[in-house]
Amino acid sequence: MLADNADVIGEAALTTLWLTLFSFAGALVVGILIASFRVSPIKPLEWFATAFVSIFRNTPLLVVFFMFHFGLRRVGLDFGTGFRTAVAVMAMYTGAYMAEVIRSGINAVPPGQAEAGRAIGLPFTGLLATVVIPQAVRTVIAPIGNLFAANAKNTSIALTIGVVELTSAMRRLINQTAETWAAIIGIALIYTVVLLIAGQAFRLLEQRYAIKR
Amino acid sequence: MASSILTEELGPRGRRRVAIATAASLVLLAVFAWFAIRQLADQGQLDWELWQPFIEARSWTFLLEGLVGTIQAAATAMVFVVAFGFLVALGRLSRTAPVRWLSGTYVEVFRSIPLLLLIFAVFFGVQNFVDLGIFWSLVVALTLYNSAVLAEIFRAGILSLEHGQTEAAQAIGLTYWPMMRIVILPQAVRRMIPAIVAQLATVTKDVSLGFVISFTEFVRKGQSFAQNEPRNNLQSYFMIGLVYFVLIWMLSRLARRLEVRQRKRYGAGKMVIGGGLEDLEALANEAEMDARVASLSLSRA
Repeated sequence: MLADNADVIGEAALTTLWLTLFSFAGALVVGILIASFRVSPIKPLEWFATAFVSIFRNTPLLVVFFMFHFGLRRVGLDFGTGFRTAVAVMAMYTGAYMAEVIRSGINAVPPGQAEAGRAIGLPFTGLLATVVIPQAVRTVIAPIGNLFAANAKNTSIALTIGVVELTSAMRRLINQTAETWAAIIGIALIYTVVLLIAGQAFRLLEQRYAIKR
Repeated sequence: MASSILTEELGPRGRRRVAIATAASLVLLAVFAWFAIRQLADQGQLDWELWQPFIEARSWTFLLEGLVGTIQAAATAMVFVVAFGFLVALGRLSRTAPVRWLSGTYVEVFRSIPLLLLIFAVFFGVQNFVDLGIFWSLVVALTLYNSAVLAEIFRAGILSLEHGQTEAAQAIGLTYWPMMRIVILPQAVRRMIPAIVAQLATVTKDVSLGFVISFTEFVRKGQSFAQNEPRNNLQSYFMIGLVYFVLIWMLSRLARRLEVRQRKRYGAGKMVIGGGLEDLEALANEAEMDARVASLSLSRA
């Protein structure tokens, strides 16, 4: 049954994969930006970042999806397709968590590093971009890997706004073929294998780049 | 809080620059807010008739019925999550290899599958054998998923107890189960309470996914509310989000408070929440705790 529907499953798997990669890349950007805001001496930026993080941390992802898909579309914030909406929403949602992780990395950078950077005359942004954040990210590779896994699993929620990804494909297969368990186990295996590979990749990155403190 | 390691006492030029940047960013935020409000007004989203339903009592009776469903499911699931989490954590620490192996697989499998997939799996897959119904399908799926997460936290908590505890228990001749029951678990549980509360917040958010199998929870109620006349999607999801926000914010605040108290009591050692986990909430808590404990020890010094 799975072989008969290989094309459907393959396409859905690709959607999940792209959704995962795009939103994760977005989350990295959002996370670094918001974390920088949060440690910046400029108060309004810090408030903005704090509000951003706490809004996304205290609301279910499903509500955020519906807000963007059904609500904000009415005021002209329309991303066009469900896929693009999902990428944007998940980049912000995972980005909020990413910001917290990176901030804990920033806190782990020894004060001497920042002092040395200031001593050679780096401005605040230069200090962050060239000294602090590169080290901060390297201390939190493992938690970032965990965020990658969480983000990958969360892509399944995009089915609620009509994106045909793996979990949605599984639902359709269950409806159409009635071979319920074959569909469930087949699709679950894809997630497990992909996440295992990603986990290994992050472990390698960690061995290669992590700063142990 | 202005992280102390990044900026030191600023000189006159630095202060002036920060003042300028503050003013500029305030203006930017104001422009942004003005644009957002104008856009809302232009599209008629600020019209009173769209917001007016939310001051009517019957609207809230309708919506809160969903919230009751959410809380029921979360509370029921949480009981099983804690029980299962403990069992699996003990299994992971068992001296019998097959038990260790089995609980290890349990954790790995249920942590690598999306919760949404699990909900479908339980709902559609078990239907042929026993009819669980919507509520219990959701509770079972939530339990499988979250107990795998909590088991790892529990395991870390048990391992964080000093070795001396086990050694002392063995020295007075306790065998495995009495040792666990009298010495290890009571201490571990006490340290776990903040983690349990934090997990409750996660489970409460997770219940919203019961939406896909038509469980009557808060978001589903909000959706049917939005589809009544007048159609007010934006306003309904805003209100749903707001109520959720307050609820989860209170729970996670409680968890954080408990955690700070425990850290003061047991010393600011490595915390148990988030040890190698992919649970978003746990990770974020870990980050926040680091900051808070740092400021705590600073203020005490």
